[in-house]
Amino acid sequence: MDRSSHLSVILDLCPTQWLLSAQPSNPHPLSFDTFLSHLLVFLNSHIAYKHENSLAIFGALPGKSLLFYSSEEAGDPSTAEVVQPDPNSYRFFKTVDQSLVRRISREFDILGQPDTEEPCALVGALTKAICYINRLLHPAQSLSSPEDSANLPDPRILILSVSPDASNSYIPIMNSIFSAQKLKITIDVCKTFGPDSVFLQQAAYLTGGSYIYLEHREALLQYLVMSFLPTPSIRKIITVPTEDKTDFRAACFCHKHVVDVGYVCSVCLSIFCQPVPVCSTCRTKFPMKTLQRLNMTRASSLTGTGASQPSASRPTNGTPAKQVYTGLAANLR
Amino acid sequence: MPSTVLCTGKATYKKQNGTLQLTNSHITWTPDGKVAPSLKIPNMDHSSLLCSKVGAAQVKLKLVLYSFSEGHTFTFTNPAPVATAEREQFKNEITNYISRNRTARASGQLPTDAPATPATTNNFAAPPPRTPTIRPPGGTPRASSIASDKSGSGNDVADYQLRKRVLLNSPELATLHRELVMTGQITESEFWDGREHLLSAQAAMENQKKGKSGQLVDPRPQTVDGEIKIVITPQLVHDIFEEYPVVGKAYSENVPSKLTSEEFWKRYFESKLFHANRASIRSSATQHVVKADPIFDQYLVKDDDGLEPRKPVAGDVEMFVDLGATAEDHGETGNQGDTTMQAGRQKAALPLIRRFNEHSERLLKSALGDGPSAKRRRLNDSNSMDVSQIELDDLKDSQASEGIALDMKNSQRYFESRATSEGDTPVQVSVPQAFNELESCLGGWERSLTHFTIDKKAMEAGLASMTSNVKSRLEVKTKRKEIPENLMRQMSTCQTAANEFLRHYWHSIYPPPSQASLPLTETLKNQRAAKAAKMAGYLASTREKVEAIVKAAPYEKVDPRRVELAMRPVLDAVNKALAFQRNRIARGGTPNPQTPR
Ligand SMILES: [Zn+2]
Ligand SMILES: [Zn+2]
Repeated sequence: MDRSSHLSVILDLCPTQWLLSAQPSNPHPLSFDTFLSHLLVFLNSHIAYKHENSLAIFGALPGKSLLFYSSEEAGDPSTAEVVQPDPNSYRFFKTVDQSLVRRISREFDILGQPDTEEPCALVGALTKAICYINRLLHPAQSLSSPEDSANLPDPRILILSVSPDASNSYIPIMNSIFSAQKLKITIDVCKTFGPDSVFLQQAAYLTGGSYIYLEHREALLQYLVMSFLPTPSIRKIITVPTEDKTDFRAACFCHKHVVDVGYVCSVCLSIFCQPVPVCSTCRTKFPMKTLQRLNMTRASSLTGTGASQPSASRPTNGTPAKQVYTGLAANLR
Repeated sequence: MPSTVLCTGKATYKKQNGTLQLTNSHITWTPDGKVAPSLKIPNMDHSSLLCSKVGAAQVKLKLVLYSFSEGHTFTFTNPAPVATAEREQFKNEITNYISRNRTARASGQLPTDAPATPATTNNFAAPPPRTPTIRPPGGTPRASSIASDKSGSGNDVADYQLRKRVLLNSPELATLHRELVMTGQITESEFWDGREHLLSAQAAMENQKKGKSGQLVDPRPQTVDGEIKIVITPQLVHDIFEEYPVVGKAYSENVPSKLTSEEFWKRYFESKLFHANRASIRSSATQHVVKADPIFDQYLVKDDDGLEPRKPVAGDVEMFVDLGATAEDHGETGNQGDTTMQAGRQKAALPLIRRFNEHSERLLKSALGDGPSAKRRRLNDSNSMDVSQIELDDLKDSQASEGIALDMKNSQRYFESRATSEGDTPVQVSVPQAFNELESCLGGWERSLTHFTIDKKAMEAGLASMTSNVKSRLEVKTKRKEIPENLMRQMSTCQTAANEFLRHYWHSIYPPPSQASLPLTETLKNQRAAKAAKMAGYLASTREKVEAIVKAAPYEKVDPRRVELAMRPVLDAVNKALAFQRNRIARGGTPNPQTPR
């Protein structure tokens, strides 16, 4: 049960969001340097927790993503950062802390002070983290004996997110989630600033991780330790906090109304609140007959009950493929 | 066809004296003093045969049938030598039928009611009748054969049998059927309306042709009354001879000249020969219980675990199935060698693997026939690395359509609809300032880490909120299984019944597209209206039923509100249908929504 574990942390380093996060007008302002202190204590706890625990830190920077630190690299003198010995601190802690901060500042030196900010490469960082774990799970055969595979590091990824969802990253994020599922990687998310991220909620939900919206932001460390320090295997015994419910309700594409019953394009899966002759997303034309039938069911039920919501033509198990019933899954968790 | 009597004997059946008789079509048993047989079994129902030991106090014969797996037991009543002779005769004749039945069933020709062909073959070695029923190469895919079956089975009996088997396979459906159809609430045909796919799936499954069983003959000892036994049936003997010709050879050379049949089998199962023939490599562990046997040990051959198999591989091995061929991919190119599949790495497994291979080849031959089959010929003709060699006809979808290409014109909106839909205007911040600010934060990290503190109030608030989060989830988890089975069953019964009524209600209001094309006659209209009214009537009682369950909940120590909550979606759906029906009636004979306008 209490095995060693691997943690890959992804830091969302979007400068404008961090500036907004630190603004005193916030109910709970959190500046980047305070965040960094909390984070470093958490990372050190993970290393201290078990001697064999391994750690990797990835950064999602504007327009680029990279590996900041890894236990593997730190153990190799050719790649490790040179860290001055400090009699007042534990050497492993110091190595992590100093390597991380140095690498971040080196990257921001390179970025300089541009006039526009490219979107943060969260997908890149997530993909790199998954690849990194994949390599840990499947070491080259010459390097390991078969017994090692019994001691897999129970991998997980923790995303510390401050940026809002970027609409064009939906598909790559979903693909990353599927890869993570396949590798049995747990994705934890701490939404440190900004509105809830629907994508990351799904990432946590689908990989069995925990999604936390940071409420009392000054107490970040409390949240990190309580929710994200226990390894997935220990979470079978210790329940960790997570989101109460994930919102699976669908909104129509045409008016963004949350709908009980929607009409789904059979080609691109766009959702509409009423039958349409042509899908406005993918331009697929629907058969006239089907349309008439669907319209008829709508018309009769609308005039019937006077309901403002569109109604199902057959709200039982014989559901036609063109309709979707939403709001059901939300209760199932 | 006049039936030929093959053998007769005096035998008791169910403790009654009588006469057992085998003809070329039936086996019959007639009680003494009667003319008509009280038991008559067609020969093609014979499935297997069990006999009592030679020399046992009673001479028994047990006949197991395809239609009656418990079988019938007969005890021969004549004095011992006569009874044994009679029994042997029955045994030989019936074994022939059993073996023929197996072949027939294996090749999918289920015996029909037509009388069996007269018994002419008496030898085991006769090849199973190979009929040209094997699918012609590249011929009709399975789907078409089902379709033709379906059109042919217009008769109700077949339909009824099919439905019965579907119900047998699905207990939930059977329960629903019992509750709705058997109580007369809906008719049989209504019930199956919209479930045709279940029937066609069942029919398709039943029409799958079964080949010969691929199992290696491996008699395993069973413990009977504390004794370890291997039960030998005539069928098993046949199978062993076929699988291991050497045993057959030993049998013909030693029985009855040196050994009786019984001794032969007793010694065989203790011999090294038997253990060499076993379908596992654990024989090495049991080596010490194996006795040396002067007769059987003569037939032993050295284990087939040399570098080359004893039986040479016939012909060239196809590139696509040659594991050795991939070895060339490794080495020069720098790829790591295949460590998982090394032929002969475990020497002890070699004889077994080779025996499996021989067995498979035999099986393949029995299915494809000895001559070059269409498939083999095709493989042999084209020596080129043609990908068509690994194409399987069965995997081709003959009805595949082109599909509709996904051409996203408006992908931005598509993805935005999934993201947080907060269209709030982003707060304007100075980008260079943001970069500058973040970088400056990195400077004093050591100092802030040294002076790190957490706001106590915030920490406690965070702890409290997370604890309550965990607690609420824990409560849900621990309470999950609280509803007792009895109540749960009532709830689910109520729910499935209501769903079924709803299905029929909406089905009559909005017929599926397949029926929508039917000409809408006045009768059809009335039929549908009547059905809708009937279903609405049933639905109206749902509320009452739910209320009864809710009322019963406290007696089962369940919070009635939970039952109410669980049943609410069903009630909502029912109410929607009922409201719809009321409006229809209020509007008075609404035009059927199917009428094209
Ligand atoms: Zn809409
Ligand atoms: Zn579409």
